[in-house]
Amino acid sequence: MSQNRDGRTPGVTTFEREIMTSSIKRRSLAAVAIGASAVLAAAVVPATTHAANKLTIAFVMGAESDPFFQAMKVGAIAEAKVKNVNLVWQGDPSVYSPATQIPIADAVLAQKPDGLVLIPTDPTALQATVTKAVALKIPVVNVDTHVNDLTNVISFITGDNADGGSKAADAIAKAIKYSSSKQFQVAVGLTSATATTNVARLEGFKAQIAAKYPNITIVDVAYSQSQPAVANTNVSNWLTKYPKLNGIFAIDGTNADGAAAAIQAKGLVGKVALVGYDAYKKNVDLIAKRVITALIAQDPAQEAKLAIDTLVDYIGGKTTGIKKNVVIPNFAIDIYTHASDKKKYTYVQK
Amino acid sequence: MTTQITQAPTPASRAKGLLKNQQFILVLVLIAMVTFFSLKNHIFFTNAVFANVLSDWIPVVLMAIGETFVIITGGIDLSVGSVVGFSGVVTAFAMRNLTAHNVNQNTTLAIGLLVAVAVGCGIGLINALLITRARIVPFVATLATLGAFRGLCIVTTGGGPVGEGPDSAIALTVPKYGPFNSPGLVVVVLVVIIGLYLHKSRFGRYTYAIGSNSFAARSAGINVKAHLTKVYILSGALSGLAGFYLYLRLSVGSPSSGQSGELDAIAAVVIGGAALAGGVGKITGTVLGSLILTTVTSGLIIIGVAPNWKQVVVALLIAAAVFSQGLRNWTKGGDL
Repeated sequence: MSQNRDGRTPGVTTFEREIMTSSIKRRSLAAVAIGASAVLAAAVVPATTHAANKLTIAFVMGAESDPFFQAMKVGAIAEAKVKNVNLVWQGDPSVYSPATQIPIADAVLAQKPDGLVLIPTDPTALQATVTKAVALKIPVVNVDTHVNDLTNVISFITGDNADGGSKAADAIAKAIKYSSSKQFQVAVGLTSATATTNVARLEGFKAQIAAKYPNITIVDVAYSQSQPAVANTNVSNWLTKYPKLNGIFAIDGTNADGAAAAIQAKGLVGKVALVGYDAYKKNVDLIAKRVITALIAQDPAQEAKLAIDTLVDYIGGKTTGIKKNVVIPNFAIDIYTHASDKKKYTYVQK
Repeated sequence: MTTQITQAPTPASRAKGLLKNQQFILVLVLIAMVTFFSLKNHIFFTNAVFANVLSDWIPVVLMAIGETFVIITGGIDLSVGSVVGFSGVVTAFAMRNLTAHNVNQNTTLAIGLLVAVAVGCGIGLINALLITRARIVPFVATLATLGAFRGLCIVTTGGGPVGEGPDSAIALTVPKYGPFNSPGLVVVVLVVIIGLYLHKSRFGRYTYAIGSNSFAARSAGINVKAHLTKVYILSGALSGLAGFYLYLRLSVGSPSSGQSGELDAIAAVVIGGAALAGGVGKITGTVLGSLILTTVTSGLIIIGVAPNWKQVVVALLIAAAVFSQGLRNWTKGGDL
């Protein structure tokens, strides 16, 4: 029902107005209720349909739109099948943020899974989720990123992010033909200021530059919030602001997407080195076109596999072989990498 | 016989009149911002930065123009950001298939454009049906489609970007005419045409009439439901166009494209002087409002301030715009 700016419909009695308002409210509430029920039903189905003797492991990740998590999902589903585990895969569709992750984690804990794999989007904000899980006697494994206090986390499984940052520094230095007689400028595109993976990669990158490439200056850092379009805006402006920019370290896949598009649009392919993170097929293909100089590949499917194996063992009482920290090495892919290695490290996507 | 004497406006009254004109104030704000950013870093005042600003401006203004029509009718369209994402993803799938079948790149892009706009029109029609037939209030109806189509972006793509389309996509976004790229010029022409359509045509008059008093509009013979349907389809179509532009810019259909775009669109419209109660709004205001938003984004990066400050600046601008509307109403004798 259309209304005027007072929020009233002219020519209609108060009684009629109340009936109409109530009708609109009912319809709106019905629409909300139907939508919410559908979403809740979709979310709850995996946890409620499992057989009584089958373990349920919940996997709460960062943002579904990040292909890194897609590759991890492929690995998790495959291992869940092998181990006969009921997998509950949850996370925000596209926002990598504790604000969206905490309610999802709470909803998952309410289903009382047998184990929880948590990829905390913030080390402090998600600490309470671990505490709640422990109170419910649900064992927790952290993957990729971790909470501040790992005392109650049975294992933390990750790629070696500091090593990845260090390898990225080596790849940029190689691409820009680093020499001690010249000064070089690089910028770093991150997704979030607090995600532990981002922080560790940046620290590894900075440490390697300080140790081996002192003539490289990090002139800027910016955050993309997992959106390639935001990363594109950041890099487009850097390429204007720093006409002598030699290289960019795109710290994850969405930053690499945005940076690659900006470098192409500015006609700077081959002139600005771009080292990205995560071996998505599209970005691996851009290495052959010289848009991306190198990619630091992790093994998210392996991380997911190990997380599920760890929880299955722990719940089954086999705790002796569980390591508190598991670090999976990275691999740098560039134009010279053998095709078989490229294939091996390119992420499997849906 | 009486003689009416009209007083010629004095310079003081003329200046007072100008200061009551929201568009004039927005131009001043824009000039002040450009001056400030240029003084902080002279690189800001270059073609390359203006090109960045305009490239960011294209999707925002397209969403915001559609939103202006909707807001003038007294409604709201929260789905514009999701339309951008979903139309970009669907067009990316379509163009990937056409490229795989070796279809000519220009044909692929033309079909991709039509697909994106058609997807936008389709979602606009769904919004319109929910509002006019199911009688769900616009806020709730478009909130539902916002969630549904953002979710479908993830479901259809599995969460990842959809690439392998025509190689020439990014080349189209390279500036060719000063700071403008080819799609940018097309958008400027489109905005002028749509502006004239809103302010000079019967369609525009109906839009204002419905927003001012829908009962009176209906009594005057305007088919309100049919008109609102057209307005929501227009909003969807323009957001679909924005989705196509973001595809060109990134060379991928990203499921996160357009995320929170509805907030930028509504902010641009409100800063531009439109009233959320309906019946008030101008395309020139929206154009300036969206230009201010994208100028802030690039400006903060160029002067080295964290872009997160953009939210603070935008909030202040919205507050100032709404305050200025209230002030104008008050000086006309209304309630402050």
